Amino acid sequence: MSNQSILEIRHVTKHFGGVTAVNDCSLALEPGRIFGLIGPNGSGKTTLFNLLNGIEPCDAGEIRFKGERIDGLPPHQIARRGMGRTFQIIRVFPEMNALENLLVVARGDWDAASRRALDLLAFVKLDRLKREYAGNLSYGQQKLLEFVRVLMTDPELILLDEPAAGINRTLLNDLLEAIRDLRAQGKTVFIVEHDMKVVMELSEKVFVLDHGEKIAEGPPGVIQADERVIEAYFGR
Amino acid sequence: MPIYITGPMLLQGVVSGLLAGGLYAMVALGLALVFGVMRVINLAHGTLLMLGSYTTYWLFALYGMNPFLSLFLSFPILFVVGGVLQKVFVHRVVNAPELSSLLLTFGISILIANLAMLGWTSDYRSVEFLTGSFLLGPIALSKPRLVTFGLALAITGLAFLLLNKTKIGKAIRATSQQRDVAQVCGINVRRIDLITFGLGAGLAGVGGSLVSVMFSIFPEMGQVYVFKSFLVIVLGGAGNYPGAFFGGLILGVVEGLASLLLSAQLSEVIAYMLLVIVLLVRPTGLFRGRI
Amino acid sequence: MKPLAWGIGLGILAGLAIMPFFVTSYIVTFTIQIFMWIALAGSWNLISGFTGYVSFGHVAFFGTGAYTAAILILKAGWPWFPAGLAGSVTAAALALIIGYPCLRLRGPYFAIAMLGLNEVVRALVSYFEDLTGGGSGISLPPILSLQPVYYAMGGVALAVFSLTYLIITSRFGLRLLSIREDELAAEVMGIPTARLKLYAFLLSAAGPGIAGGFYAWYASHIEPLGTFPLLTTITMIIMCLFGGKGTVLGPVVGASLLSIFQELVWARFLFVHQAIFGALIVGVVLLMPKGILGVLQERYRLPRTI
Repeated sequence: MSNQSILEIRHVTKHFGGVTAVNDCSLALEPGRIFGLIGPNGSGKTTLFNLLNGIEPCDAGEIRFKGERIDGLPPHQIARRGMGRTFQIIRVFPEMNALENLLVVARGDWDAASRRALDLLAFVKLDRLKREYAGNLSYGQQKLLEFVRVLMTDPELILLDEPAAGINRTLLNDLLEAIRDLRAQGKTVFIVEHDMKVVMELSEKVFVLDHGEKIAEGPPGVIQADERVIEAYFGR
Repeated sequence: MPIYITGPMLLQGVVSGLLAGGLYAMVALGLALVFGVMRVINLAHGTLLMLGSYTTYWLFALYGMNPFLSLFLSFPILFVVGGVLQKVFVHRVVNAPELSSLLLTFGISILIANLAMLGWTSDYRSVEFLTGSFLLGPIALSKPRLVTFGLALAITGLAFLLLNKTKIGKAIRATSQQRDVAQVCGINVRRIDLITFGLGAGLAGVGGSLVSVMFSIFPEMGQVYVFKSFLVIVLGGAGNYPGAFFGGLILGVVEGLASLLLSAQLSEVIAYMLLVIVLLVRPTGLFRGRI
Repeated sequence: MKPLAWGIGLGILAGLAIMPFFVTSYIVTFTIQIFMWIALAGSWNLISGFTGYVSFGHVAFFGTGAYTAAILILKAGWPWFPAGLAGSVTAAALALIIGYPCLRLRGPYFAIAMLGLNEVVRALVSYFEDLTGGGSGISLPPILSLQPVYYAMGGVALAVFSLTYLIITSRFGLRLLSIREDELAAEVMGIPTARLKLYAFLLSAAGPGIAGGFYAWYASHIEPLGTFPLLTTITMIIMCLFGGKGTVLGPVVGASLLSIFQELVWARFLFVHQAIFGALIVGVVLLMPKGILGVLQERYRLPRTI
């Protein structure tokens, strides 16, 4: 694990009652690249994300973001250090309109934030819906809104939890473009996905979890051929 | 505050507290089940307890029925009342934001308590059935408390048997742990909601019947029990049903000692501070549980 | 806000300002009550309506303010107006002591903690008899004229109303709303929810504190049972819910309409009155969760900030 990693997870473990959701997991992300996290259902992917965000405390292990320990910090402080995240189940704020959804997370100058919000809405072609209540938007629109909401605070590490779930082909291509754009800007992206095609297309390196343990890591091509990965997905 | 506290006095405080604690545990279990299965905090729980007390009172005053036998009636009556409340009102807010269920059950509790006041006046009633104490060495064991404790223990035991050994009980536990998984496994969660709420109400009602033998009965009596039940749940750990039992005992003892060492008035303040402290320091409860 | 709305608003204010000189003291008394309820329901709105954290013990702040003012007037010789204002200080202090630990908890736990708060404050008031007069309470000299109280209470109502409007149109207000909508998501986006909840809570305690302070002077006698009754909490809540929680005009509409209702039913049928409020709470939660304002906002596509 080099000191140049933007994110380092060292021997992290998390129990829920009798279940071990994450078991002695270690991995490192180098800055400015796209990483994938895959694994069969229940393998602990979302739990790992929750640990990164500070939503759940780790039972053991360390998490270092940009060299500093963040395990144990409350979520809003971790967010302010430059980590952003989208959720598996969309969590926009339904009783606010699209513009307000973006403004509420902004920090600093209100006017600059407004301009940035409008730019981001235009970026995902939602600008004509800026006064529409987020709760009234379609599934795909909400997904895009959540995506740009993460970008409002210009985070360095972006966690995307199943960004491709439930959206159609055209929107998906726009999303993939947007993610590649982020990488071009020097951001690090960590994606949890079930859609193998998406993961393999985008990621430069993939981590595989099974029953809370990391069973493989490497470039997409290598992972696809890895026996342990195939076993994990299709059983023995 | 007594200047000289002897060992026996302390022991007395602890024992009295334990006896009270058993009752708290049983009543709290009712609230815990509803919270666990439906994620609803039933603020009307205390009012249901009050109805149980009045059931016992009227059976005693009008028909001379042994209050301890009236449990066999107050449980089913309150079970039905609870079921009706669930079916008509509460089921509509099971998936709503917490604010809604809190306010709804709050409204229901106000409505029922005031209907009780209108129907039965706010005069204090009591059930004079069992008085006096056994002397065990230096300790006085109040007879009503002792019997109440025994019955509460027995009923709690039955409830645990139900939860662990019967099909319905397992369905209840499954629903409270993972509602969507339970549904997928073929459990009719709406029926479980109904049954659980009835069960919770029944336990509250029985609690009320037992309380009626020891303390005065009046329409607003239930208020304090919701708070104490919640305190018990917090102590034991939300979702941890056996933990709630020990939580009840702990509350009883803390109250008993606080009454002894400070004053009865302040024991409420102590209970409150205990709640706040536990919530801050160990929100998952003093035993292993989950929120 | 549009010029027409401003015009109507100022007109109403002007009317209220000169009203005491033209109507009977019964009407003045009644209006003082409405002002008080607007202040109370509107303050409850700041925490429960905006953040979704239900405060069941809010009357504790009212009672604290009342006792603060009464003690300052009687034992320290303060004039009634500053004594009333001082009510907000102790109320806010209480809010800080309770809020700091309790607001870190999720909604249901906070609600239960607040449920107990009222009883605890009442128990403390009874316990510290020398200061508070215990069960028999404190008596103050009777007031000579209603008008100063009218303007004072009206001022509090106006202050709470204006504060609500300022908050709802501000970034602070938007963030509070995000707490209500999805607190976890808000936190993960970097919003410091615990701190913001505390601010809202403090602000929501100040209004009842002052209202209580002026009430003590107005009523000339306060005692624990009368100043910490559950009915006050119930009324605050139902007025805000009925009118529309989370809106600016909601508490005003709710307080006004239900005060009139209360005036008609109260004196004779206390328990019917409370029972009806209970039923009303149930009804509003199930049938009209956004209150009257909510219904109007949906029907006529009105902005969220009214």
